[in-house]
Amino acid sequence: MTTEGKVEINKLPTGVPGLDEIVGGGLPEFSFNIIAGAPGSGKTTLAHQFVFANATPERPALYFTVLGESSIKMLRYQQQYTFFDPAKLPGAIRFINLSQVVLEQDLGAVLKEITDEVEKANPAVVVVDSFRTMVRKPQSDMELQSFIQRLALFLASWQATTFLIGEYAEDELRDNPIFTVADGLFWLRQTPERNSIVRKLQIIKLRGQDSVPGLHTFRITDAGVQAFSRTFGLTGHVKDPPSHRRLCFGIPELDKMLGGGVREGDSVLVAGSSGTGKSVLATQFIAEGIRQGEPGIVAVFEERPQAYAERASSLGLDLETPRKDGKLKILYLRPLDLSVDETMHSILDSVQKIGAKRLVIDSLAGFEMALSPGFRADFRESLYRMIFALTGIGVTILSTVEVDESFTEFPFSTYSISFLTDDIIRLRYVSIDGQLRKIMVVIKMRGGNHAKDIREYEITSKGVVILGKRLTNYQGLISGIPKHSDGSGAQEDALQDSGVEKNS
Amino acid sequence: MRDLALRLLTYEAVADKDSRPMESATLRAYEKLRQSLVSFAGAAGFQSLASRALVLAQTEAPGLCAVQVTVDGALKGLGDVDPQTNMNKDQAGNQQAGEDPPGEAGAILIARILGLLLTFLGEALTLSLLRNAWPDATFDDRNSGNGRRA
Repeated sequence: MTTEGKVEINKLPTGVPGLDEIVGGGLPEFSFNIIAGAPGSGKTTLAHQFVFANATPERPALYFTVLGESSIKMLRYQQQYTFFDPAKLPGAIRFINLSQVVLEQDLGAVLKEITDEVEKANPAVVVVDSFRTMVRKPQSDMELQSFIQRLALFLASWQATTFLIGEYAEDELRDNPIFTVADGLFWLRQTPERNSIVRKLQIIKLRGQDSVPGLHTFRITDAGVQAFSRTFGLTGHVKDPPSHRRLCFGIPELDKMLGGGVREGDSVLVAGSSGTGKSVLATQFIAEGIRQGEPGIVAVFEERPQAYAERASSLGLDLETPRKDGKLKILYLRPLDLSVDETMHSILDSVQKIGAKRLVIDSLAGFEMALSPGFRADFRESLYRMIFALTGIGVTILSTVEVDESFTEFPFSTYSISFLTDDIIRLRYVSIDGQLRKIMVVIKMRGGNHAKDIREYEITSKGVVILGKRLTNYQGLISGIPKHSDGSGAQEDALQDSGVEKNS
Repeated sequence: MRDLALRLLTYEAVADKDSRPMESATLRAYEKLRQSLVSFAGAAGFQSLASRALVLAQTEAPGLCAVQVTVDGALKGLGDVDPQTNMNKDQAGNQQAGEDPPGEAGAILIARILGLLLTFLGEALTLSLLRNAWPDATFDDRNSGNGRRA
């Protein structure tokens, strides 16, 4: 009992990574739950994980199987999962087949069989798999309702946490009495999205508990079901107070343009077309962080970590040593069928493991391509959730984004996501003196003042190097086709005070 | 696997003398397996497994051709083949005559069932089932032969 005299509901671990947070901290003890979904959606695996996480020889789990999948085959396959501990059978986990009584007798006999076994074993967990096949024989609505009611009452009274597993369709939700009686209703979906399969989990109902609403993606791996909460496991996390610390790029002129660097906890967007040096800038940002003692993470989608590190090495940036020392993680996220939530899980896991302060996402276009097609439609909303969550725990994010170069427009991003970012650095090509040169400008800094200068830069063997002073003798630089201030086209002497080597 | 089956039969033969002398060791071992397996795999599940084991065993022990597995998984006709469990009795004489040695057919059948369990469930779960059926017996994992010998 709590101090206020209210009953305290004990929460049991689900045994499914990520699911405890979704259900509000764990599954309510003695609850009567349904796991519904189409065949192959992971219902049995989820139930097994719960059973293996909670069954003990003193309070075992009774797993009733009914028709459907043969128990021998079920155990044959389920034991492939890492959570499956054969030592728990048959002491802590007991499989009981009810096929015969279901086939040959009525629901009253089925109930008696279950009650006899429960009274004998005093289980903490009871699973009926599949409940749907148990009640498939023709019977009156009243008979069915009475059976469900008595079963639920009995199991709750015997202090068992129960899962009934069934292949239900969503249009059955309204009329089936089982859904009324249930305390918890877990719905598993498996939907094809073009050539990808997306698995989603929804807690349609969970009495007495504040579960996270919405559809949560999940994956089935050799470790079983793994769920990815839409809140990224940060429920209850208090947003870190804003920091006044500035994080440098290690490019003195750029850091000056940024008023000393980007504010810690900001989301920075580096936008530019192909070859403008977005990735180089991002690599310098992460390398400078490591030099300053700030561990970092680089999420790459278009190349392997080794190739990324080698490219950095060609710029004189050593990423291999911090990788070995555990100060840098280069995450290569499996392409084509990711969800943002799953990506976030990998990133957050790494953030927590190495205490990362800086994160580079290189690039947003690669990230979007790595997602399953169904998630691409929600990319903007997903980015919002991700950036909000990561900056909320004090991580500074630098994302690169490729924009189509136009000589009439100056877009910041193809995703209309600039509102999600605190700071924007725009890189672009500009045509001067018959050369395609590069300019850089800080478009926005939410946390303070920044230089308004348009600066020319080059990519050298030392990375991004900003050249000379701001370009003062041109108009229309951001159009990409500037005019000399005297009205002529771009002049050869325009950059003469900038130290740019003139080509003859 | 054959070693493990023989151990189960020997164990039952000893118990046989103490309690139920009229029942063969093979039948008793088979019944223990049946009870243990029916509870979790259902009668139909056990019946199909036992039928498969019997067919496999019949290739090694033709004397088992008269034996049948009934719908509920019980064994019918074994008494005619396996009247006793003395594995050594008249063994050489029977082999010379091309017959299955007494008790040997039963051991083959039990070994085949254990072999199928090992194939489907693996060593850990098979031994766990055996421990459940023979709580007083000790099973050494090495005796299973990892399913390579049946």
